[in-house]
Amino acid sequence: MKRYTRPAAAMVLTVIAALVIGACGSSSSSSSSSSSSAGASSGSSSSSGAKGGTVNMVEGVFPQSLDAGDDYTTQGAEINWVTYTGLTTYAHVNGIGGTKLIPGLATALPTITDGGKTYTATLRKGLVFSNGKPVTASDFAYTVERSIKIPWGGSGEFITPVIVGGTAFSTGKAKSVSGITTNNATGKIVIHLVAPYGAFDNVLAEPTLGIVPAGTPFSNQPNHPPPGVGPYVTKNIVPGVSYSSDINPLWAKMNVPGIPAGHVNVNVKVSSNVASNALSVLNNTADIFDWADTIPGSLLPQIQTKAASRYKLVNLGGSTYYIFMNATKKPFSSQLAREAVMTGLNQDAMTRLGAGTLVPACFFLPPAVAGHPTAPCPYGTPGLGNLAKAKALVKQSGMEGQPVTVWSQERAPRQQWMTYYTQFLNQIGFKATQKLIADATYFTTVGELKLHPQTGFADWNQDFTNPVDFYGVLLDGHAILPTNNENFGEVNDPHVNAEVAKLGTIPTTQLQKNASQWQALDEYVAKKAYVAVFGYQKFPFFASDRINYGALVLSPIYGWDLTSFQLK
Amino acid sequence: MATTSAPGTEFSDDLSAGFVDAGGDLAPGTGPWKLGWRRLRRNKVALFFGGVFLVIVVLCLLAPVYSQDIAHVSPSLGNITGTIRVGGKTENIVSLTGIPIGPTWDPSHYFLGADTLGRDTAVRLLYGGRNSLEIGAVATLLTMVLALIVGIAAGYFRGIADGVLSRILDIIWAYPVLLLGITLGTVIAVGGIGPIKGSNLLVPAFVIGFVYIPYVAKPVRGQVLQLREREFIDAARQQGLSHARIMFSEIMPNLSSTILVFIPLILANAILLEAALSYLGVGVEPPNPSWGNMIADGLTTIPEAFHNVLVPGLMLVLAVMSINIFGDGLRDALDPRAKVRIAH
Repeated sequence: MKRYTRPAAAMVLTVIAALVIGACGSSSSSSSSSSSSAGASSGSSSSSGAKGGTVNMVEGVFPQSLDAGDDYTTQGAEINWVTYTGLTTYAHVNGIGGTKLIPGLATALPTITDGGKTYTATLRKGLVFSNGKPVTASDFAYTVERSIKIPWGGSGEFITPVIVGGTAFSTGKAKSVSGITTNNATGKIVIHLVAPYGAFDNVLAEPTLGIVPAGTPFSNQPNHPPPGVGPYVTKNIVPGVSYSSDINPLWAKMNVPGIPAGHVNVNVKVSSNVASNALSVLNNTADIFDWADTIPGSLLPQIQTKAASRYKLVNLGGSTYYIFMNATKKPFSSQLAREAVMTGLNQDAMTRLGAGTLVPACFFLPPAVAGHPTAPCPYGTPGLGNLAKAKALVKQSGMEGQPVTVWSQERAPRQQWMTYYTQFLNQIGFKATQKLIADATYFTTVGELKLHPQTGFADWNQDFTNPVDFYGVLLDGHAILPTNNENFGEVNDPHVNAEVAKLGTIPTTQLQKNASQWQALDEYVAKKAYVAVFGYQKFPFFASDRINYGALVLSPIYGWDLTSFQLK
Repeated sequence: MATTSAPGTEFSDDLSAGFVDAGGDLAPGTGPWKLGWRRLRRNKVALFFGGVFLVIVVLCLLAPVYSQDIAHVSPSLGNITGTIRVGGKTENIVSLTGIPIGPTWDPSHYFLGADTLGRDTAVRLLYGGRNSLEIGAVATLLTMVLALIVGIAAGYFRGIADGVLSRILDIIWAYPVLLLGITLGTVIAVGGIGPIKGSNLLVPAFVIGFVYIPYVAKPVRGQVLQLREREFIDAARQQGLSHARIMFSEIMPNLSSTILVFIPLILANAILLEAALSYLGVGVEPPNPSWGNMIADGLTTIPEAFHNVLVPGLMLVLAVMSINIFGDGLRDALDPRAKVRIAH
């Protein structure tokens, strides 16, 4: 899942102590838990609020797509996980409880046999799509094929090479994915994997594998997304501007345990002016501030004074903000050049530009994910940076004077981060210029492999709490895709590839036993300076006076849980 | 945007208005330029604002002097984690929550405050003015040159040439200026123009210069349609002068007052459009400053640090207003009966 960051201060403590979840990479989504206890908080949708009505949510960037088959952003996942339910899903609670896998459209979590290579599940009876058409087991197989063909950004790591026949289908050598067999009469679904893949249960919970009807085109349908099975239906899409998530009237009758129905319809308005978005929530003209956006520091005093009861900052510990550096192109094909960035980057400055919401960092795996290192940072404690040493490293690398294009989103503070980074690169001896890309198309643009972007902004929020979610998508050479690529730095290190392949087979339940191996890999990546991590984000949990604040759930995996939105 | 022009230049038969405007004490045969200058001299308001604009231009041209010798910082170099002493107290240039310091009123240290990246606002204001004025001037030059060529050619040749050129102008004119500017700015910023990279300041200048061509070309064409029927053009043809010679030696000098009146109008609109495009992110690219992108950057710090919006905004208003008022005065002086204007 795309880059979002998820707050989970409470989750951090619990996860470090007893990490049991596979890491998912998703764009910034944060679950609020900084002020809640470390244990699972109750925050599942309660029924104490009023039913009915409409809630207005404001977000700074339009989802990459409202078709879950293509989307890989936090903004999209936030909507899609309650619109397209898969065989498995996550508990609708705050904190670490929200990382627990539960059955979705399957009657139970899949049975795993054959040494971890065969997953068997049975579809619940009586399921219908939001258009009333009955759901069949073969629709699941079709959904997997669609995700491969589009292709979804994580398919190169989690689906295509993992399921038997996935690669042959992807290259056109087969008409279907041979590793999936279904029986519409019994609802049985059997999935054969090429090799054991510990996080596959988590993969089944991805919105991209939320079942859609067979016959849905094998292409992204952003403006008219296909019907799904879930508490909500996406409607009224005005691309780049707004959309709505309306209660699915057919959902409640299906009685899927653990996945509540919605209480209110949700209108989502997109504006890159996050200051204006924050003010509208403060002034109660909008109801929910998207957790993936950063409230400008200039508004924090007002918000903390006037809205103390409905604002908090939470650290989910499941997200990483970093700068990718293309290891195949000059100047960052030189490790010394990459080390110069790690050595000289002023993380204190980056934190201030982020209105103080960033926790300086150097390791790729964030604190809430198994394998987060405790060793000291290889290039010095994140702080003011050492400019003189960075300049010397650039000279030593022989890359002085190299032109560099820094890719950047437009909205604050991402643009400011990259403007500062561009200025820093010029200071240490490169000839850097900044290229601004509209937020909604940024990741699609830098994900075009033929562009070979040299360096730029990136972030990742866990799709699931297994490190393979970070490494498998973002740093594994096998995950490099021609389009929708997430390994922007085109990192293709044999050691990284081999470790990911080996450690990725470890089931989620056994992660803690092997955390030290992930730690070693993370320390290796930090020493090689493949990415310049500059912080772990804390996120705003901010709503209007109209909202039943106590009932709100911020999933550590997917962000705001729309089923928890209630009016007072 | 409607542009109209009415007959009645200094070359019209009715000279009495000129004598009345000039106070009636001019010797016969006083040239139109002298007449115009006298009218302009009487317009104190126009002269004042012309002076204001000149001051702005000079200040912006002196940006490197201010940057190097007084403020001792460059426009792109920030100091996010630095501190300065203000009134005996040590203050963060940018606070821990990202709020930049406000005006210190000390010319050597953040006179007008800092922006979110710790850059000196006063230095960026002057360099931004240089960029905005440079782009405005280049765009104006481009517009005037191309518009004159197209307008004169269309009006002189008439027929098919006029038809084709006028339709092309109509197509460009049909698009709202801002929309066309955004479209061209976005596309060209990616690939550049030939050897010129997308981040070069000439790119927004070309875009702005291009979109305003019809607003000058069409009234020029209208005037040329009238001028070509005059006796002196017939005489020139009978003397065997070439078309090019007639167009640029006989007709164009008669458009000089129109040209002069249009220059400040186009310049003002070009500076405004550049600010709008930069504000929207498709004009001057960071880290190059421009009044438009300074306003956009400053929005994130309202209300705690609104100086980053107020200062470039006021400067923009002052510059455009000065040019417009001076341009109005110039038009009144050179073409008192004309109705030339650009309406958006």
